[in-house]
Amino acid sequence: MIAVRFHGRGGQGAKTASRILGTAAFLEGFVAQDSPIYGAERRGAPVAAYTRIAREPIRERGLIVHPDLVVVADASLIPDPAARVLEGIDERTAVFVNSPLTPEQFHAQGSLPGRLTTLDLTDIALQQFGKGGAISALLGVVAGRLVGLRQDSLREAIVRELADLSLAASVIERNQAVAFNCYDAVRPVLVEAVAPQPIPPAQLQRPTYEPPTRGTARISAAANSVLRETGGWRTFRPVLVPDKCNGCWLCFVYCPDGVISMTKDDKPVIDYDHCKGCQICVHECPTDALVAEREKEGGVAWRAK
Amino acid sequence: MAGEMMTGNLAAAWGARLAGVDYIPAFPITPQTEIVEALATWCESGAMAARFVTMDSEHSMMTAAGAAAATGARVFTATSSQGLLYAMEVLYSISGWRAPLVLVNVSRALAAPITLEPDHNDVLAARDSGFLQIHAETCQEVLDSILMAYRIAEDARVMLPVIVNLDGFYLSFTREPVILPAPEQVAQFLPPFRPAHLGFKASAPHALGVAVLGGTPYSYFRHQMHLAAMNALDVHSETAAAFERLFGRRYDVVEGYRLDDAEDVLVMTNAFASRGKVAVDAARAEGRRVGLLRLRMIRPWPADAIRDALRSRRAVAVLDQNLAPGQGGILFQEIAASLYGEPLRPRALCSFIGGLGGKNLSEGEFRAIFDQTAEAGVRGKGIGPILLYTEAEHREMTQLQALAGGLNS
Repeated sequence: MIAVRFHGRGGQGAKTASRILGTAAFLEGFVAQDSPIYGAERRGAPVAAYTRIAREPIRERGLIVHPDLVVVADASLIPDPAARVLEGIDERTAVFVNSPLTPEQFHAQGSLPGRLTTLDLTDIALQQFGKGGAISALLGVVAGRLVGLRQDSLREAIVRELADLSLAASVIERNQAVAFNCYDAVRPVLVEAVAPQPIPPAQLQRPTYEPPTRGTARISAAANSVLRETGGWRTFRPVLVPDKCNGCWLCFVYCPDGVISMTKDDKPVIDYDHCKGCQICVHECPTDALVAEREKEGGVAWRAK
Repeated sequence: MAGEMMTGNLAAAWGARLAGVDYIPAFPITPQTEIVEALATWCESGAMAARFVTMDSEHSMMTAAGAAAATGARVFTATSSQGLLYAMEVLYSISGWRAPLVLVNVSRALAAPITLEPDHNDVLAARDSGFLQIHAETCQEVLDSILMAYRIAEDARVMLPVIVNLDGFYLSFTREPVILPAPEQVAQFLPPFRPAHLGFKASAPHALGVAVLGGTPYSYFRHQMHLAAMNALDVHSETAAAFERLFGRRYDVVEGYRLDDAEDVLVMTNAFASRGKVAVDAARAEGRRVGLLRLRMIRPWPADAIRDALRSRRAVAVLDQNLAPGQGGILFQEIAASLYGEPLRPRALCSFIGGLGGKNLSEGEFRAIFDQTAEAGVRGKGIGPILLYTEAEHREMTQLQALAGGLNS
């Protein structure tokens, strides 16, 4: 069995990529299983998805703790402990990262073990689609290429999964074309099923009663949400072009997270520590005074707490 | 005889009044309405200082009750049957908040078909909700159990809400003498409610029932609820001792009746246990060594007390006044689970289903139970579920079917 784990941010398409891979494997006659896991469905929040491919019936479910291939849709997830990108990765794990950095640069940073390969899918999407948010077809095809699936099954899988999302035929075709550029461009690395190690029995903790001040699901610390810098969720940031702003306050009104404040002369100021990068302000701005700018490698999204 | 004549419903209202509750959200439903009517009258007259609020449904009522308890108020409310089911999702939230209010349920069988008389499918549907459950046999026990329930619920080792159950009609509308405890003695028994983990202060906000993902924190908090519920066994025992010292009446998690030399034991709950005791006396008069075990506390499940009472008996009959369709009696399953690991378990465990929708449990039915249980004990093989329903009752049923179907059919 080959176990593939995808990591992305809500809206990037990690879940759909896992389905494209699962469907393509299924079409080639393999037994496949795919499943996502996420909390409240929020754009930018860490998401994981799992695809298992085998020749025998699959009796595992849920989390993949020892992946054979890890696909990272957003490199800023790597240092985030909550995203658990590094869990179960060793030098034999194949790892793909959507990044302008080369495998050598990652190795030099020492941030990722494994057999690395990279490609800047977001840049390709920006060049080809004019926007780089959703890259499910690109991720799915790259994963399919790395595990050795055929182009025809991946092509059909993209049609099935994107049609399932109600995308227009022209959009699906465009995705297929761009995805197969990536199929050709990604440098293959060896993906091999690693034999599972014997696991010792778990050391069970015997629960003991604790007073209700500790034992109740309760938060008494005041205003601690400010400590969580959700700015790390962004793949794109809204940036103000002051000359174009007409001071209408619409961005302030529409911001779902209340991270836009207004100056005395009616100009928006964005709290980048907490802006999740949903781009609603960019979409709503009537004068195009807010534009989406890709987060830079190693920038704020990588340092957020 | 000491005391005053009052219904189980009025005894329940007196329990809330003597407990000095702060807040009562209410919604009427037969056969519970008299409880909230009495409380409304007392709040209106000033006899009680509580805030009484009528709500638009039992779902809202339980939400208000839980929210008020989460601010640190002592809260009472009451419902029945469909009302309890309508409030059900809120029960799980309130126990998760560890908000120790007291809810009285007046048992009434569930629709469909619709009826007003009691069985215990309503209250037992809440058995996994995290509410503790005390089931009463007499009007006096209803009142006393409410006072005990507040003391147990508000103990820092427990901090869980409690349901006190009484049967519709057979207790709710039945008058018998009830002794009213003196308010100053109740004040001695029940200290003011000062929870460390609850309260409402604008300068110190807190969030309860927060989202937890990934399973680990969820498991921790659910384990804590289980441990808290199990602690209630010891807390009940201490509370029962304190109650007896002050008021002279003793209630344990189970009550044994003529168990000492009993070969066969009948297990029952709630008001019909009185009839069971009469049937035990009648059988004893004929020289049969039978006894009765009444389960008073259903949650936490008093497994040790049940094992102690049933160990080494020849046969045990569990009379469930409920029916899990496709399974049988709910309490039978729990008794069986408690006895399985007992080396000296009874030779036969028998399941009877009776009293559904308030159907009478007749002397003849009790005799049939004792006969069949004794035979099962001799054979060493359990029986059931046996559905208690007589030939005479079925003739009555056939006539009703003829009427319902049209006289010609």
